[in-house]
Amino acid sequence: MTATAVVAERAADTATRQDFGDVLRAEWIKLRSVRSTWWTLGSLVVLGAGLTIVMCWGNADWLASEGADESPGSFITWGMMIAQITAVVLGVLAVTNEYSTGMVRTTFAAVPRRSRVLLAKSLLVAGLLFVVGTATALIGYFGGNYFLDREGVGMALEGDVLRAMYGSGLYMAGLGLLSIAVGTLLRHTAGAITITIAVVFVISGMVALIPGDIGLFIERVMPGNAGSVIATPVTFNPNLLDAWPSFAIFAGEVAVLMAMAAVALRRRDA
Amino acid sequence: MIRAQALSKTFGDKTAVDAIDFTVKPGRVTGFLGPNGAGKSTTMRMILGLDAPTSGTVTVNGHRHLTSPAPLRSIGALIDAHAFHPGRSARDHLRWLAASNGIPTTRVGEVLELVGLESVAGQRAGRYSLGMGQRLGIAAALIGDPPVVVLDEPVNGLDPEGIRWVRALARRLAEEGRTVFVSSHLMSEMALTADHLIVIGRGQILADTSTEDFIATHAVSYVRVKSPARAEIGALLTRAGHEVEVVDNALHVQGIDPAAIGDLVHRHGLAVHELTLVRSSLEDAFMTLTADSVEYVSKTREEVAA
Repeated sequence: MTATAVVAERAADTATRQDFGDVLRAEWIKLRSVRSTWWTLGSLVVLGAGLTIVMCWGNADWLASEGADESPGSFITWGMMIAQITAVVLGVLAVTNEYSTGMVRTTFAAVPRRSRVLLAKSLLVAGLLFVVGTATALIGYFGGNYFLDREGVGMALEGDVLRAMYGSGLYMAGLGLLSIAVGTLLRHTAGAITITIAVVFVISGMVALIPGDIGLFIERVMPGNAGSVIATPVTFNPNLLDAWPSFAIFAGEVAVLMAMAAVALRRRDA
Repeated sequence: MIRAQALSKTFGDKTAVDAIDFTVKPGRVTGFLGPNGAGKSTTMRMILGLDAPTSGTVTVNGHRHLTSPAPLRSIGALIDAHAFHPGRSARDHLRWLAASNGIPTTRVGEVLELVGLESVAGQRAGRYSLGMGQRLGIAAALIGDPPVVVLDEPVNGLDPEGIRWVRALARRLAEEGRTVFVSSHLMSEMALTADHLIVIGRGQILADTSTEDFIATHAVSYVRVKSPARAEIGALLTRAGHEVEVVDNALHVQGIDPAAIGDLVHRHGLAVHELTLVRSSLEDAFMTLTADSVEYVSKTREEVAA
């Protein structure tokens, strides 16, 4: 065999060898080619920006009045509190629709290294949610701040306000990852959405009722509380830690769940 | 080539596959035959790395599928009739599959044409009939032009034309030198498609032989005798040590060929109206072989057997 033939053979071998880029491209086609991706992202924008604008419009004169006991900074990303449901749905569906349709067997026969599938889905969902989440927060800011400005309580896009913009993107991305992990662990759409929303929304709010230091600790570390601080310039809840320490707690929780999901994915039969 | 060595799978305390050994060779269609619940699908899932064996190994051309450097170029499989998202079009389904293994997108059009779905490729796959879904599954199996093809119950839900098409396709893939492994619970279907048979029942290999030998060994034959002197002939044959059964107005005789019966009857000066060698069908042979290993016995079969 000549040297060129050997080289040609090697080139062919690298070309056909499955790499992570292949898996990422495949998962991108998957994500793009189902409608649920587009209407969850559409809902994120409509709810996230729309509700922020509506709340700022409705509360601007009160916020400018003497009797106001909340900051305009708590309203400027208000819609994201509701829009986070769509991030949960997008993350869960990215995984569970494979299980509900039986497609997961096709996926893992095509990509036997399952952790690559999980990683590719995570990168794409998190990336998409970061971009769309940040854009949504910005639309909400520009729309809502118009009404706040009219009453003289507008805010400049700097400091904590600016941080809340990309913070909204980060929180949506984190929620998407959390949902992917829960979806992978439960493999069931309704179950995963219900549990994630219950933990993030309902229980995160309810733990404030637990008295004492333990109650305060639990309130601060619940994912819905720890994650959302970064997404708002001034939080409604004065008990929570600052934005970045809170987000570090949330990121840690997401990482733990993701690790559990990766282990379960490897061990369980598809 | 697919090779299983002491391959086992247990679910809880139930053994689905019990230390089986087999080799599926290239260049021929190997039928994987067994009643429902015999362990066929579990075995196929282990080949594809979807289920982890409890013990033992199974390799595809010498590699475990889990560590395959180019999975879809090594083995293509139809494992589940509707293993696709109903909201995604057939073309998009094949496009992501191609992308996942670095297969050129032009291949998508080729396999769509091969299975005859090109005119409906843009439709959401959820609208497809069972037969169209099977064709999409087969297109997915062939997208990597793999040397090994595994088809789990490929004719389920297909119309007669589709069934003929799958048979011809399996034959052609084998003629091209590929390893073709096709499962079915229908013996008659396998008799028409497979060169070689691996029969499984209750997780164990019951037979691993050429289709021809299988038929010769397992299909029971008997001679049907019709005669006005049925009772006398029956007595003669029984005395000679043959198994005789009276069915309607005929005798079914085992263990002797028609010529010998004719000679015997002639020596006693009796008349015969019919003397026919009846070979039982392959389906019967399969039933006989797996009779003790079927998981769910239906009432009617029990009644027939009794």
